[in-house]
Amino acid sequence: MSSASFAAEALKIGVRTYQFTLRPFIGAHCRFHPHCSAYAIEALSEHGALRGTAMTARRILRCNPWHPGGYDPVPAAKTS
Amino acid sequence: MDNKRLLAAIAISIGILLLFDVWNRPAREAQRQAAQNVQQSQTTGQPLPQGNTALNPAGVASTSPNDGAPTTPAPRIRIQSPRLEGSVNLRGARIDDLVLRDYRETILPGSPNVRILAPREDNASYFAQWGWTAADGRTAIPGPNTDWTADGTLTPTTPVTLRWDNGAGQRFEIALSLDTNFMVTAEQRVVNTGAEPVQVLPWARVRREHTPHLAGYYILHEGFVGVIDGRLREWKYADAKMEAQRRNGAPAFESDGPGGWAGFTDKYWLAAVLPADQSAPSHAAFRATQENGQDRWQVDVTPTGAMTAAPGATAAYGTRMFAGAKEVKLLDAYTTDLHIKDFYSAVDFGYFWFLTKPFFYALDWIYGVVGNFGIAILIFTVALKALFFPLASKSYQSMARMKALGPKMQEMKERNKDDPAKMQQEMMAIYKAEKINPAAGCLPILIQIPVFFALYKVLFVTIEMRHAPFFGWIRDLSAPDPTNLFTLFGLIPWDAPAFLHMPAWAIIMGITMFIQFKLNPTPPDPIQAKLFSFMPIIFTFMLASFPAGLVIYWSWNNLLSVAQQYYISRHDRQTQRLEKAAARP
Repeated sequence: MSSASFAAEALKIGVRTYQFTLRPFIGAHCRFHPHCSAYAIEALSEHGALRGTAMTARRILRCNPWHPGGYDPVPAAKTS
Repeated sequence: MDNKRLLAAIAISIGILLLFDVWNRPAREAQRQAAQNVQQSQTTGQPLPQGNTALNPAGVASTSPNDGAPTTPAPRIRIQSPRLEGSVNLRGARIDDLVLRDYRETILPGSPNVRILAPREDNASYFAQWGWTAADGRTAIPGPNTDWTADGTLTPTTPVTLRWDNGAGQRFEIALSLDTNFMVTAEQRVVNTGAEPVQVLPWARVRREHTPHLAGYYILHEGFVGVIDGRLREWKYADAKMEAQRRNGAPAFESDGPGGWAGFTDKYWLAAVLPADQSAPSHAAFRATQENGQDRWQVDVTPTGAMTAAPGATAAYGTRMFAGAKEVKLLDAYTTDLHIKDFYSAVDFGYFWFLTKPFFYALDWIYGVVGNFGIAILIFTVALKALFFPLASKSYQSMARMKALGPKMQEMKERNKDDPAKMQQEMMAIYKAEKINPAAGCLPILIQIPVFFALYKVLFVTIEMRHAPFFGWIRDLSAPDPTNLFTLFGLIPWDAPAFLHMPAWAIIMGITMFIQFKLNPTPPDPIQAKLFSFMPIIFTFMLASFPAGLVIYWSWNNLLSVAQQYYISRHDRQTQRLEKAAARP
């Protein structure tokens, strides 16, 4: 496993931990489908640690009451 | 069916734990007894150990008579101030007897004052000491059993000077003075009347010859603490021990730097030493050693190099020693008045200090107004909730328009009832098309987490909550609620084992959490949803042993969330009704 994908896996474990600990506690308030945490896991798998984190950060910033929300899947990775 | 099985599993687990505890109790008692006996036999009739091998090299040890315990009782002079009481032990020049007059051990009237420093004869030996190392290898220096001479009482208005003559041309002096709070200032002087220059390394140390009982919470640091070389250094006892062993007995941590301070922190108390001149270079070390199988912990400060006293001259070194309660405002005052580098950081405000510190000042201010720390917590939580109210209400504004979409949603749900993922997707598509959304979004929720964690941390670490009463049976907000469901709140005269502690406030917390969870949207994942429904039970058990103030805060926070959601949805129904009435011809 390369160090980059290791970082992505570690981050994914972090998100999973959030899903099973903090999330039940604060409730799921996401305005999007898929939910931000599911989006994070998918983005990390598809785009790696760096881009995945950046995309997740953008997604969470968009997930506020002034954004309409809705269906917003992770864009597919470019296959070249 | 599933629930029944889980309940049975919980019941069986509790049963096993209970049996184990009952079965194991005599063994544990015996073990403790044995440990105590060993400790006692070691503290009595044992020579005063040479504390610090690095500072007291072997070549110098011969000048200090270490063999055999001294037979005469150690001479002492008293320490008395509005806030401190104790004595200076003239044997070895140490302060090993100090109690805090403003703080008591327990909330019971007539409870003894909190003892911060304790003599060697005590099982919890903890002391501050001043001394020298002969850097030239020949100067006769005072040792741990040297009897110093001094007169009077150490008070804020009357400093005292300890004197000792080595009989070889050097006079040693330690001038101690005390302020009206918890700070002792010491000046160590070597007056050289001999014909040769002498080289000595003065030092000040705090030594703890037992490991204290730790509160042991993840969010609270206990152990070595200091600002050395400009940075806050925190070492747990266990970590320091491991590091010192890895380094073959060398200090777990040492560094040079201008100024700073180093000591031991408990949840509420601190004992630390620091150079008086905070701009001069100085050296500090955290040490962990073993002695007859007992752990010894020590911090010390020294100049970065030996000091030379020419014939007829004096070499002086100034230090301070703090031993007292970590009152935030007092530490702040010392930081600015005595220019002690970041002394306020002895209170563990954590990574979110930029939130926790302002929170503390706000809480303390409210406390000053209302006079009860519990009430101050409640008021401050309301204020925080009010601050976030616009965020919450904004999201519920779209609720009204949601209702109008009811039939369309219902039809879509019917169509996709076998495919929840598809249903979610279509639902979100409708939201987007109609420009509405019932959820607040992740960002506003995530912003609130550090804020409420910060408040929790403040309540946990600050001494102001200690022995602060609340209503009814809560007489100490920093201690666990003493009531217990398993004794039917005192009706059954039964000494319940520690894990069967279910106080009234924890139950109140569980109920408020349950109601709040009922109002929260459930996670889409079925396993998470299942876990979600058990959360209130898990948390009730988890928080049972937590300080009552935190459990009360948590209950109140839940209650406010519920009230807020109730208010918003009721308000919502009203506006809807009005709209309907207006639409009618």
